[in-house]
Amino acid sequence: MLRRRLLFRILLRSFLLQASWNFERMQSLGVVYVLAPALRVFYQGDELARAYGRHLAYFNTHPYLASPIMGTVLSLEEGGRNDAQSITVEDFKTMIMAPYAAMGDAFFWGGVRPLAACVGVYFAVLGKWWAPLLFLVLFNVPHLLFRVVGLFGGYALGLGVTELIQRLRLPDMAIRCKQATVLFLGGLSAYLVVQGLRGEELWAGWGLAAIPLVIVLGWLGSLGVSNLMLILTFSALLLLFYR
Amino acid sequence: MLAGLDRTAAMQFMLSRPLVAAPATGLLLGDFWIGLQVGILLELLWLGRLPVGAAIPPDDTQIAVAGTTLAIVMGAWTGWVGLPMVLLSLLVSLPLGKVGQVFDRFARYGNGRLLVKAENAVGEGRVAAVDSLHLMGLLLFALASLATYLVIVTFGSLLILMLAPALMPPVEAASSWLQLAFPLLGVAMTVRTIHVRHAAVLYCLSFLLVFFLLWPHG
Repeated sequence: MLRRRLLFRILLRSFLLQASWNFERMQSLGVVYVLAPALRVFYQGDELARAYGRHLAYFNTHPYLASPIMGTVLSLEEGGRNDAQSITVEDFKTMIMAPYAAMGDAFFWGGVRPLAACVGVYFAVLGKWWAPLLFLVLFNVPHLLFRVVGLFGGYALGLGVTELIQRLRLPDMAIRCKQATVLFLGGLSAYLVVQGLRGEELWAGWGLAAIPLVIVLGWLGSLGVSNLMLILTFSALLLLFYR
Repeated sequence: MLAGLDRTAAMQFMLSRPLVAAPATGLLLGDFWIGLQVGILLELLWLGRLPVGAAIPPDDTQIAVAGTTLAIVMGAWTGWVGLPMVLLSLLVSLPLGKVGQVFDRFARYGNGRLLVKAENAVGEGRVAAVDSLHLMGLLLFALASLATYLVIVTFGSLLILMLAPALMPPVEAASSWLQLAFPLLGVAMTVRTIHVRHAAVLYCLSFLLVFFLLWPHG
């Protein structure tokens, strides 16, 4: 049984999982770095080198959902020394990394981050100095919960942690967050437009033009025109007009 | 560099997001509010671009940090301050920020060499070397961030000195529209890429609701 202090050390190391991210095997070297303190407890000598070698295989998943995987890997590594298991550590990692990557990307990058950013930007526009802190809190509460509970839960439950993650229904939660983000973006846009028109002392009705403008910009984006190209072109046109 | 590492290599607490990195830079340079303005303008711009797999999104972190530096330092130097200087700084920082993706790619290729060294070390039984090889990746990512920052600040300063006399009057005149263009473009791209059914309809309904709630006070 690994000591709590050692697990905490592994948790701290998991924050550096992607320090050596590379195109060849992505997070593989990071996995060895994260697991190293435990591997050194489980194995010695040639066995340790073989364990390092096994974990240097290709690995890539969402960095936050790597924690439950690492916890389960520790549990399997520990169990594998004692008795025969239905699944090998390598099989488990290969099987789980892609679905966890998809869930993590959709939930954290596609769901929580845009929603937290919208809320943060709204309060920043209102002139609240604590808006960046609010953004960090909104994002990092679920982030850190996943990292900490994921690692300790993965180690305690072993393969059972996959059921726990499944029960969280992350894809559904991601959709809810995205819907909330779209609604928030609509409100935020309207607020910014009304404020802008007030500043220019223009009739508020002109603000409705923002809707077709946003749709056209989105359409241009779908044609492959980059954000950079659009903002520079748009700015150049404005500057030519006001020249 | 700390914000740069937070993008991929370490922690990922989102200290790298423009809404955090820009005001933090502003605070360090003595003007928090300029940084917050930069953060508001940039945060939504690439919000829809996800750091998935091997994709390297535009380096909005170094654009935010360097843009804030330029707005504060060049503002003090040239005498043009406030929103127009923020906008001009961002307009020169945005295209220069493209180098961030190139440097980031170099760092990741460099990390590939660290992986080969780690494999050799493990093959020879020198497992203790793996930790330090992995951590050397941090140095490569940090250098990539620093290089991006230096390129934007150096060339950005020169561009501002050259362009400011000609561009500042129209930037001042168009500042409230430019201030609106950044977030609206970001919103448009986010709504397009967010993969929600009827996202455009939801967006329009929410816009109209808030718009007409604010209208009587307009």
